[in-house]
Amino acid sequence: MMPRLRFETISKSFPGVNALTDVSFEVAPGEIHGLLGENGAGKSTLLRILSGVFRPTSGTVFVDGQAVAFRKPMDAREAGIAMIHQELQQVPHLSVAQNMFLGHSLTRLGGLLVSRREQEARAAEALSMIDDTIDPSAPISSLKVAQRQIVEIGRALLDKARVIAMDEPTSSLTPSEFDRLAEVIARLSASGVSIVYVSHKMDEVFRICQRASVMRDGKLVGMVDLKGTSEKDVIAMMVGRELMREEHNSFVTTTVKLEAKNLSSSSKIKDVSFKLHKGEVLGIAGLVGSGRTELLRLLAGADRLSAGAITIDGKTMNFTSPREAIAAGIGLVPEERKREGIIPLRPVSTNMALASLSSFSSAGMIRTGKLRSTARDLLKRVNLRPFQLDRPIRLFSGGNQQKAIIARWLAARSQILLFDEPTRGIDVGAKSEIYHLIEDLAREGHSIIVVSSELPEVIRLSDRVLVMREGRIAATIPRDQLTESAIVAHAILGARADATNAPIAQPV
Amino acid sequence: MTSFSNPPETSAPAFRRFSFSLRDAGTLIGLVVIMAVFAALVPGFLSERNLVNILQQSSINACLALGMTLVIISGGIDLSVGPTAAISAVITATLLLGGTPIPLAVLAGLGVGVVCGFINGALVAYVGLQPFIVTLGTLSTYRAIALIYTGGNPVLGIPPGFRSLFNGTLFGIPTPVLIVAVVAIAASVLLKKTPIGEYLMAVGGNEEAAYVAGVPIARTKITAYVISGSLAALASLILIGRLGAAEPILGNLWELDAIAAAAIGGASLMGGKGSILGTILGAIILGAMRNGLTLMNVQAFYQLLATGLIILVAMMIDRATRGRE
Repeated sequence: MMPRLRFETISKSFPGVNALTDVSFEVAPGEIHGLLGENGAGKSTLLRILSGVFRPTSGTVFVDGQAVAFRKPMDAREAGIAMIHQELQQVPHLSVAQNMFLGHSLTRLGGLLVSRREQEARAAEALSMIDDTIDPSAPISSLKVAQRQIVEIGRALLDKARVIAMDEPTSSLTPSEFDRLAEVIARLSASGVSIVYVSHKMDEVFRICQRASVMRDGKLVGMVDLKGTSEKDVIAMMVGRELMREEHNSFVTTTVKLEAKNLSSSSKIKDVSFKLHKGEVLGIAGLVGSGRTELLRLLAGADRLSAGAITIDGKTMNFTSPREAIAAGIGLVPEERKREGIIPLRPVSTNMALASLSSFSSAGMIRTGKLRSTARDLLKRVNLRPFQLDRPIRLFSGGNQQKAIIARWLAARSQILLFDEPTRGIDVGAKSEIYHLIEDLAREGHSIIVVSSELPEVIRLSDRVLVMREGRIAATIPRDQLTESAIVAHAILGARADATNAPIAQPV
Repeated sequence: MTSFSNPPETSAPAFRRFSFSLRDAGTLIGLVVIMAVFAALVPGFLSERNLVNILQQSSINACLALGMTLVIISGGIDLSVGPTAAISAVITATLLLGGTPIPLAVLAGLGVGVVCGFINGALVAYVGLQPFIVTLGTLSTYRAIALIYTGGNPVLGIPPGFRSLFNGTLFGIPTPVLIVAVVAIAASVLLKKTPIGEYLMAVGGNEEAAYVAGVPIARTKITAYVISGSLAALASLILIGRLGAAEPILGNLWELDAIAAAAIGGASLMGGKGSILGTILGAIILGAMRNGLTLMNVQAFYQLLATGLIILVAMMIDRATRGRE
């Protein structure tokens, strides 16, 4: 059978670096092909060549046996190649349907008017295959990240693509949403659409892909048949070394560091109470939209309380800005790093110092020497790579940006660290480093809250897990009873009874 | 393409660090090219006297553009600098005519700039209006205040003591040039060495992230507009020192030249990026061009054309050399 997609000795070099070297592999019609590798391995470059953003320096891409040379993304789209990006590429103020038809609107009266009603009908039809709770006329900005991702997938369905390349499509989906996505992918595959599936999540790749190509340092390390291979072997191929399975270490004490009493907010949170101890890692699980992020924003002073109280070391706090929460020792490592974390053009060292600039200043002037020596110590401690303090943070990988944000709170001497999806979009190696770092911080007596959609991550890190549902705490699970099924049961229980309040929940 | 060179980590940053000043170097090359062209076309263009002239003629725009650069870095824009200057000018002139001592009148004039800037900043930071709209509104409002205050008439007869202060020379250098040099150094220190400078770049670079990191957003934005307003006032003092009169319509379209100088110098209207040195060079480019065209007796229409083209060409070169962002 002629391959649907064939990469033949693709190389791509940028000034001073060869991003891809002689990459060749093929994908059969209807195949779900995994593309694996750490960040910087060349996966994104390859996808950009496939989607017409870059042109290869040498080598050829074949679609259904025909050599293609895309000059711009629209060429690729017209050739039946759809791309679902990790970073959502949507126009916030436009509706779901308008976003899905962006660039090729349905028109009437000979192109004079956009046929909004038909667009919405067609969008609804495409979306019904994945999530029929999304209103095609709603503005994109009113949707949660997970729903926006689903819209992107719907858009590819709409394009009647022959090849759909997905770059970390599930980085913000909950397990039940993933199940649904896996179903859709299987259906697409059965209808002959080929999928190139890029993900860091081994279990997903193993579950839905038949074969996978593994890349490292811009080269293809090998193509594996996933049936006869273990996750461990694949990871070893990706990183060039084996990752140890790690045990949880607990450093929790009996001292209460932070207490939340009956917190409520206008955004979502209803009557949430819990205690966070010194040295504790408290996990918060729940569906996307259950109020996890909103709870962290309340604690970090980014949103206002409508009722209840937060006490730290027994003192009642009333934060009106993140600045006050930071002064009280709280630091938030946000979910959307690009939007809420980094100042892209500034050096990694000043990004690190941003929350504590006054401690690096005297008489209104920044003491550069002090700032640099602290940056050197802390960024070394979090193992920043490459270790270049003056490099703009946007040029670092996601994992290293995350390390710099963590170092920001170490520089501010925050005692309470709030992590929202700490390893989202971060590769396997950096992930393990961040786990160790969180553990080290707990050992030093920091109090830590970790919000995560990845259950293995919650279980790996947490001393105790709160499960949230519809803005409330549905359950508190101690370490010794912590299993994925226990979390999932609490997270979705009741969703069946009241499906309208939990639009993304999908009973399993 | 067969060998795999070093990973980007080792080569990119050195290039990157270099490229920041590379942008300033690009502006400098632009200036040198323009100077060379006029030197070939206009006899005496490069004479010491004319060079000093160019600096003096650029000083007002440079002064405004420095404030504008800080506002643009913070992610905003200040369209109201001309009318702010006008209010400051007529009030200072009136005070001087009424016998107020020069230092007090100067302070009052600068104070007007501070107040105008504070109003802009407060509307942006606290009321949450968009900077373009806020300063478009105050552009008209401030102009109206200057006209109403004077009844539309110029304030004539500014005392020689004041004029020699703002239009004299020191060690053979015109005082406006010295004033702007001092302001530029101060702005550069502010931007590179103080928390406020870092906050300006953080707020303009990513406001949401800056907020989560505890940056005082409102205070930072207001600071930028207050500085811009004060520098507009300072520019007006230089102008009335030179003219000996304060007209309520002075400073018309100043904002556009100031934005142009900042943009030529590398400030991004998206915020988060800009260069003090670049802005100064940008202002001198515009000044040198006007000076040269005037010496060539080119009609004012064509001078306007040249200004427009130089901005567009500068931005295209900028875009082409910067590559993808």
